Amino acid sequence: MTMTATDTNTPVLRATNVRKTYQLGRLRVPVLRGVNIDVRRGEFVAILGASGSGKSTLLHLLGGLDAADKATAETGPASIEFESSDLIRLSNGRLDEYRRRRVGFVFQFYHLLPELTVLQNVTIAAMTAMGKLEYWAKRSEVRAHASALLERVGLGHRLLHRPAELSGGERQRVAIARALVNKPDLLLADEPTGNLDRVTGASILDLFSDLHKGGQTMVVVTHDEATAARADRVVRLVDGCVQPN
Amino acid sequence: MYQFLLTQRYLTSKVMPLLAALAVALCTAMVIIVWSVMGGFLVMLINSGRTLVGDVTVSWPITGFAHYEELIKRLEADPEVAAATPTIETYGLIGLPDGRTETVMIKGVDGPSYTKVTDFADTLYWKPIDTPHVKDEFKDDVRLNNHTLWNFVFEGGKRLVRFEKPERGNVAVERPGAVLGVSVSGFNIREPWGFYPGQARARQPDGTLKPVQTILPVDGQVTINVLPMDSKGRAIDMVARSFPVANEFHSGLYEIDHKTVFIPLISLQQMLKMDRAEKSAPGDGITINEKGEEVFAPDTVIGVDPARVTNVLVRGKSQSFESAAADRLADRVASIYRQFAKDFEGQVPPSTSIRILTWEDQNRTMINAVRKETALVLFIFSFVSMTAVFLVLAIFWAMVSEKTKDIGILRAIGASRSGVAGTWLLYGAAIGLLGAVVGFGIAYGVVTNINAIHEWLGEKLGLYIWDPKVYYFSRIPSDLNATHVSIVLTGGILASCLGALWPALRAARMSPVRALRFE
Repeated sequence: MTMTATDTNTPVLRATNVRKTYQLGRLRVPVLRGVNIDVRRGEFVAILGASGSGKSTLLHLLGGLDAADKATAETGPASIEFESSDLIRLSNGRLDEYRRRRVGFVFQFYHLLPELTVLQNVTIAAMTAMGKLEYWAKRSEVRAHASALLERVGLGHRLLHRPAELSGGERQRVAIARALVNKPDLLLADEPTGNLDRVTGASILDLFSDLHKGGQTMVVVTHDEATAARADRVVRLVDGCVQPN
Repeated sequence: MYQFLLTQRYLTSKVMPLLAALAVALCTAMVIIVWSVMGGFLVMLINSGRTLVGDVTVSWPITGFAHYEELIKRLEADPEVAAATPTIETYGLIGLPDGRTETVMIKGVDGPSYTKVTDFADTLYWKPIDTPHVKDEFKDDVRLNNHTLWNFVFEGGKRLVRFEKPERGNVAVERPGAVLGVSVSGFNIREPWGFYPGQARARQPDGTLKPVQTILPVDGQVTINVLPMDSKGRAIDMVARSFPVANEFHSGLYEIDHKTVFIPLISLQQMLKMDRAEKSAPGDGITINEKGEEVFAPDTVIGVDPARVTNVLVRGKSQSFESAAADRLADRVASIYRQFAKDFEGQVPPSTSIRILTWEDQNRTMINAVRKETALVLFIFSFVSMTAVFLVLAIFWAMVSEKTKDIGILRAIGASRSGVAGTWLLYGAAIGLLGAVVGFGIAYGVVTNINAIHEWLGEKLGLYIWDPKVYYFSRIPSDLNATHVSIVLTGGILASCLGALWPALRAARMSPVRALRFE
């Protein structure tokens, strides 16, 4: 996989005719029915849809967490191009590398590791991206970077706390710091405010806005119009299809 | 690197894996203890087997062989031979001071040379001691006092003589004496944990033990009865002779201590008609003596029957306990014997028939039995220890289920399948290492205190697991062998990894999306 820098007009990510079908026993349930979407460098894209519209599934496919359906003669060619690589055709190892270095995930339920401290929850993502020796050599640097990120999200005083000792908003900030620690090209967030109260949710969105202003490319999945309103562009998903504007 | 972080965190935050580590620890300890005790049993058996037989024995039982002095001279001239000594072994009866008569192995030895070839002197029981046995709380052991007497007894034991007061004059008289195995007489009654109290006691009709004043090396006497054979192996009349007890010996091997008696070589040679004898022919008719009287003609000496022994024991210069060293020495001895047999053809057994045995050959039946028993017991206990594998598997399976979401998170942040599997395998290895280290600690504590533990069980619960009459030795032996320990510890770690393997593969195969959605 060759992933090179591109100019701001070229899409960082381009999904073409993406389909995903789940097999539930003998029943085939199509969730995405040929989705096309482009995300440009520095762009903040919101994918808006009701529950069950396939927006989280689409995010998982864009993030290399799940595999899209293979193209057939009937459905026509499909691809998820990140820079010059097609995620659908990447090996598992390359997909792991893609998730390690090129994207960062933020989930609705934070998904922090409960045994680790706040700082360790952030540095562990850096550990996955580095070899053992490389991490050992750069561990001070990594910790400093993680601490700085946590400081930036307002948790500089909570480095050694466990997730159980944090509020929902604080946990989500840790998740954001973790997603950013490897300086990803793309930040993918799945309902990042879905589990938070309005005030806390607004503060998280403010943080996203700040990140966007700093040049971070982001795709946020939400069912909330107010959240989507913060984005540069909104892609509406209805029954597994992108609704034309 | 994240594998190490997670392993460390999971280890210190969960109780369940510690149970797996405990299972590994108990299994590891069990196998180490069994191997150490059985290994110690084998080592003690081998050492005790060597204690009184040297490294190599040249043997021609019952009738014995002649010209042994010449053979010993040739053997001792060899650069690999440290010393050699003649002995006779025969079965006989011993009449004891308490009126019992027992069947025993009687060994005729030449004290000074026998102590060079064997560790006989070290096994002598009656000698001066400065510190009492740890269990001799009241310092009842008579050897603690009157060191002059015990020095005499000890010296007498080494030479198989008892020094006695002369009827006239001041110079002590040396009488050929017997050295009995410490359990032969019945006066030295061993405590259940293998301790001889150093005070003669007699068992009373009600089963109690009562101290008696008899000290065999001071005032004891025994009668030895043997059956001599002629050079053709035909029995001659039984011969009985009394010997004062010179000392007693304690080899630690119950079978030997219970059934062996040493007497001087020359005495046994005489009793068995194996000493030097002149061959004579009856005189021919009647002759006139110097006084002019008619007398029967005296017998004519027609030759000499040289003295014979049944064994020559050889000690090599090498201190090695390896079979190969003894085998090499046996080859040297065989080579020397070949030339000896050639030079004394017709007078000594041919080299093709003589038995030249290493210490291991002589104890092969018992050593092989113990080796096989050790292997069998180890196999059974190792098999039992496999339960630890399944316990680790069950616990890890449950933990992987519990940590499904964590696995999804790791995959989402870029951990590969092999990385996730590696986390669980490393975790398994850490559990195994922890269990192995704890298991070694338990085993070390038990093995190094096994006799104290056994004694405690005996005192508190009346439970004497190790009966020395059955197991030969007076104390439970143990040998904490570094190689064996390393093998068991490695096995414990590998078993834990094996138990973690399937759950690790299951974790690696999980779909990240499904894992993240797991509730």
